[in-house]
Amino acid sequence: MIVPLEHVLVLALAVFLMGAGCALLRRNLIMILLGVEIMLNASGIAFVGSSLAWRELHGQAFVLFIMGVAAAEVAVGLALVVYAHRRTGRLDADHFSKLRE
Amino acid sequence: MVQSAAILALILPLLGFVFHVAAGRFVSRRTVETAACAAILGSLIGACLALAAGWGQAGSVTLFPWFRAGDFAASFDLLLDPLSLLMAVLVGFISLLVHCYSVPFMRGDPGYIRYYGYLNLFVFFMLAVALADNLVFLFLGWEGMGLCSYSLIGHWFHSGERTAAARKAFLVTRTGDVAFLIGVALLFAQGVDPSVSSIQAQAASLSGGTAALLGLLLLWAAAGKSAQFPLLVWLPDAMAGPTPVSALIHAATMAASGVYLLARLFPVLALSPTVLLGIGAVGTLTALWGAASALAQRDIKRVLAWSTLSQVGFMMLAIGAGDPAASMFHLIVHAIFKSLLFLAAGCLIQALGEEHDIFAMGGKLRHRLPHVFWPFFFGVLALAAVPPFSGFWSKGRVLSAVLAQPGAGYTALALAASAAALLTSLYAFRLLLLAFFGRSARTDALRPESVPGSMSGILWPLALLCLMAGTLDLPGHWGASNWLTGVLASAPGLPHGPEGVSEALVALLDSALALAGLLLALLAYGPMERFFPRIPEGARLWNLMARGFGLDGTYERILARPYRSGANLLWLRVEQGLLETASSGAAALLGRASSGVRLWTTGRLSTYLLMLLAGLVLILLIAAGMRS
Amino acid sequence: MNVFPLLTVLILLPLAGSVAAPAFSRKPAACRAFALALTLAQLVFLLAVIPWAGMPGTVVLREDLAWIPSLGARYSLAMDGISYLLVLLTSFLGVLAVLVSWREIRSRIAAHYASLLLVQATAMGIFLARDLLLFALFWELQLVPVFFLIAVWGHEARRRAAFKFFLFSIAGGLLMLLAVIGLYVAHGVATGTYTFALTDLLASPTSPFLQGWLFAGFLLGFAVKTPIIPLHIWLPDAHTQAPTAGSLFLAGVLLKTGSYGLLRFGLPLFPHAAAQAAPLLIVLGLAALIYGAWVCFAQTDVKRLVAFSSIGHMGLILLGLTVWNEISLQGSVLQMVNHALTTGALFIMVGMLSERTGTRDLTDLGGLWQRIPLFSSFFLLFCLAAAGLPGLNNFVGELLILVGSFEQHPAAACIGFAGAVLILGYILRLVQATLFGLSGAREDLADLTPREAAIVAPLAGAVLFLGLAPSPVLDLLREPVQALLAQWGG
Repeated sequence: MIVPLEHVLVLALAVFLMGAGCALLRRNLIMILLGVEIMLNASGIAFVGSSLAWRELHGQAFVLFIMGVAAAEVAVGLALVVYAHRRTGRLDADHFSKLRE
Repeated sequence: MVQSAAILALILPLLGFVFHVAAGRFVSRRTVETAACAAILGSLIGACLALAAGWGQAGSVTLFPWFRAGDFAASFDLLLDPLSLLMAVLVGFISLLVHCYSVPFMRGDPGYIRYYGYLNLFVFFMLAVALADNLVFLFLGWEGMGLCSYSLIGHWFHSGERTAAARKAFLVTRTGDVAFLIGVALLFAQGVDPSVSSIQAQAASLSGGTAALLGLLLLWAAAGKSAQFPLLVWLPDAMAGPTPVSALIHAATMAASGVYLLARLFPVLALSPTVLLGIGAVGTLTALWGAASALAQRDIKRVLAWSTLSQVGFMMLAIGAGDPAASMFHLIVHAIFKSLLFLAAGCLIQALGEEHDIFAMGGKLRHRLPHVFWPFFFGVLALAAVPPFSGFWSKGRVLSAVLAQPGAGYTALALAASAAALLTSLYAFRLLLLAFFGRSARTDALRPESVPGSMSGILWPLALLCLMAGTLDLPGHWGASNWLTGVLASAPGLPHGPEGVSEALVALLDSALALAGLLLALLAYGPMERFFPRIPEGARLWNLMARGFGLDGTYERILARPYRSGANLLWLRVEQGLLETASSGAAALLGRASSGVRLWTTGRLSTYLLMLLAGLVLILLIAAGMRS
Repeated sequence: MNVFPLLTVLILLPLAGSVAAPAFSRKPAACRAFALALTLAQLVFLLAVIPWAGMPGTVVLREDLAWIPSLGARYSLAMDGISYLLVLLTSFLGVLAVLVSWREIRSRIAAHYASLLLVQATAMGIFLARDLLLFALFWELQLVPVFFLIAVWGHEARRRAAFKFFLFSIAGGLLMLLAVIGLYVAHGVATGTYTFALTDLLASPTSPFLQGWLFAGFLLGFAVKTPIIPLHIWLPDAHTQAPTAGSLFLAGVLLKTGSYGLLRFGLPLFPHAAAQAAPLLIVLGLAALIYGAWVCFAQTDVKRLVAFSSIGHMGLILLGLTVWNEISLQGSVLQMVNHALTTGALFIMVGMLSERTGTRDLTDLGGLWQRIPLFSSFFLLFCLAAAGLPGLNNFVGELLILVGSFEQHPAAACIGFAGAVLILGYILRLVQATLFGLSGAREDLADLTPREAAIVAPLAGAVLFLGLAPSPVLDLLREPVQALLAQWGG
């Protein structure tokens, strides 16, 4: 491998952390969804790198799975966000807090 | 023959009780009264037949087994020896007289079914105590007497005072009963079957310490039932009951049952001279205490009550001196004259319309009620031990028994007993003089017709016996044999009495004391009283004596009141306070913790995502830790 | 192993009745008749059929079926003399409970009888089970109907009382269940066989340290039920607020399950731990006796007074169980029955009294002897029985317990004897305040109706019978007690 596996994993970790930060620290629903997307892609990076390092094709195949799952999840998530926005006119995550005591 | 007669004697009063409970409401008053008296009459006949038929021998009969577990067995056994049969005859005789007396005495009372029922039941229990062999059966009678006493003292239950007196009697006697049961348990633990016959047979096998302990326990039990120091506080208050009840229960039978128990179980006591001396000391102390208190009473029944416990003290002293036969002699004699005095007092009380104060009685009574006065006079003479009345002989026997014992302790007891005898004579004549010779003007309420002939008629047989009963056990040097001692000596377990110290000396001493008391009483209360210093009947010391030297008050202060306040304290502070707070506090703590955790459910997405991430990190760390 | 499952019938009969009762919810009269018929049938079954199959004193009836083989739990029931006696008691009290709630319960009658029958069924299960898991099942199950009995048909503060009862009992039950599982696992690890059966676990080779903890778990579970102070906190409220039938079952049956559990499971399973804990248990038993009697004295609520008296009596039973010799064990079991009868009778009479006068306050009652003499006579009889008067039932049990304890623990026995004075104190106070004194001169009170007499008379008869001729019962107990002693000499 041209790039050592450790570097790829570090990249994946960095992207994961950025995605996590985006999901946790932002209040806008769409930004949270973006963060989740980024985290999914980070895991995809990790899969690709490992697949290359261990010469296993399953890793690459799994990335395709992840992309599919990510697309489906974003579709459903955005649909919910759009519906929520239409109902309340707000996209603030803290606004939707009825699931409490 | 002996056995069936004895069983009949025992069962008839119980059947009377059952009859009254079951059918009393459906038959006439006359029937109830007749049934009650008939049951006792039958019982007396049975007891006399048993005594006559089984003369001098001991027999036993088992009615039926009660319960047993392991080696411990209780059964309804009877031991029929001269002592027990004699006691049964005495109980039957006095009970019969009291029952017949009750018929006119309680003539207006609506609670008559209850009265006769409990009276019959009491006689059954007393006979059970007298005849029982197995100690648990004896205890049945013992406690049963306590129950009947409670019910009869509190017969007029509308009055809070009377029911309080009944409660006190039951509670105080029960403290004695506790010692009885501990004694039974102790006997069983030592391998002795808890029955009178086993004790008489195996007493010698008990170790010294056990015998002493047992003796003390029996003393405490007897002190409870016989109102000896320190459990004497209930008897004066027990006078709240109807007078026939006082005569039967608190003079002749239950009050003496403690002494009877000690006489029955004398072989155990005989093993420990210390215990005997202790019994003598308790008896003498009570004799003095009672006599002194009797001297200061105004209520006629209270005089007689203090007198009773004082005389029972003499009986205890005789046991302590090692002469149970003397004790039994005095028991029989005392039963006769004390019940006579009580019944006569009942006549007086009714004649004066429920007046109890002797200072309200006077000379008019002597003239208008001679048929009450003369028997009362006989009774007083017997109480004061004036020769030739029965009390003289029995008290003489007691004193001579004490004097016959060596040792400084017994000498001291003899001196104290003599002082008590003097006081006895003094208060007896004080009673007589104030009741029948005084100058009170308050005798207008006198209604001689309210004393039916049937009531005062009962007094005569007793009066006669007061004179004659001394012949039961005349000392040897008067020419007659010691009949009673002889009879009782054949009962297993009772030793031959100690040879009396010069009988004539004791007789002289006794008469001297009696006459001295008479003289003093005449001086203080008789026709010559204006020449002599007035008795300070209002002084502090006198009041103290009237209150029984404040023992009752002391118990109230150190036992009853702290117990009551302790109960309230425990209820309010501990149950409702501490424990309730503890459990509610635990619940509240949980509630607060729960509220604290509840803060995590903010409903906000960002919080949940954070927690999700934190949890994931934690799991990964643990997984990493486990792998390495 | 019996051909016909007699013992299961005992459990199934009231269970079936409990399930069937809601069918009568529109017809209260039919429901009452049904419940009465069922409980009477069970009593007859116990008295007639079971002895015919083999007298429980000498013969032990058994049933043993596979239940959860993978866990090693079996459906195992057995009836020896002790179990027979307690089952008979439960059945008898069941009949009385049905009769007592005849007029008292006015709403949701079918549900009430369903609860009563369910309590009876679970109690039978507790007394008959010989498999620890089965026992724990019935133990926990019992709480449900009792909770509803108190919470739905009770008096003014019933909710709180029901919750307190439930929480205390379930906490104790949880600890006991943990101990059961612990014992199961420990035994399995030590011997290789995983089983819940009592007979197999009796000689389990567990370490003393572990035994101590397991015993503590069992003890705490039983201590809540018996009750052992200071875990008695639930009892006064529960007894006071429950309806009369509920109090009857609480005092007569539930409390006995606690002491029975100690007798059958707690003490035999962990002999060494029990021997070490004996001084503590003796002290607690005596403390309960004295404390119960002392607090009783300050009560003004009649039902609460009787409830506290239960604490005292159970303390004495605990003493008898701890001492563990032949005489005291026979006395304890007998006293369990005696206490159930006497205290049950007192609760019944107090219930009748409060139905008539509308009050449970001692300061308002008084002078009943004149107004309702028949009632008062029975009441006096039961009060005297509670006070331990010889010739009545409590005396025999108490005497046997204390005589049995005297040899090894003389001081404890003396204190136990002295407790009689304290008991008499509050009994006389109770009698005085209700029967004697001046009455508050109100309207006429009705004396005992035939139905009430039918409840009270058998109880009085039992009290007298057990007081004067308890030999049949003691004979019933002799062999089971000796068998228990053979397992562990104490």
